[in-house]
Amino acid sequence: MSQSTDDVKRILYVQTSGTEAPERSATVFFLAASAAAMDVEVGIYFTQLGPTLLQRGTPETLRIKKVGAPLAHFMEQAREVGVRFYVCQPSLDLSDLKMEDLIDGVEMIGGAAFNNMALEADRVICF
Amino acid sequence: MANVVIARTLDCRGLVCPLPVIKLSKAIKSIAKGAILEMLTTDPGAVPDLQAFQKQTGHEVLDQSQAEGVFRFLVRRTK
Repeated sequence: MSQSTDDVKRILYVQTSGTEAPERSATVFFLAASAAAMDVEVGIYFTQLGPTLLQRGTPETLRIKKVGAPLAHFMEQAREVGVRFYVCQPSLDLSDLKMEDLIDGVEMIGGAAFNNMALEADRVICF
Repeated sequence: MANVVIARTLDCRGLVCPLPVIKLSKAIKSIAKGAILEMLTTDPGAVPDLQAFQKQTGHEVLDQSQAEGVFRFLVRRTK
């Protein structure tokens, strides 16, 4: 998310669930995509178990319901409209993940950058 | 609203949230400023979603109607 102070609205989502709870994995992408479609600048910060959703190979195989599209479908919807994905090192460590294990395009930030984003966002929404 | 010129029709029938709004967002940028887009959708949340879209983006919902489960919106690109 950019640091400018123009009149663009910003929402920062925080995703704390991962592959252990497929039913909790898709909502953030639905809502983030909807916000971005309304010209809101949107980021999703994956922390705690959230980064497991970004592990290469996972989005294509994780299904929210037994019948239905895999998570990759909803993730791509969000990315197509400009939603950005962020992780931080400690939450990767928690699941023994490295940046190179993740899908392309994920951005690494730290705690200071996260808090700055939260302060500059119009809303922060946690899942 | 019988005499409006429709620049493009966006058929979202059968698609569910959040696809109609995502497609609307892309489609509205594909027509000229001031032009009008017709959107057809069966998404039951479409009316409040289009109101929100108008409020946040400034693109104007000129007309809305519903027939046989299909919502029809006319949206003018304003910027």
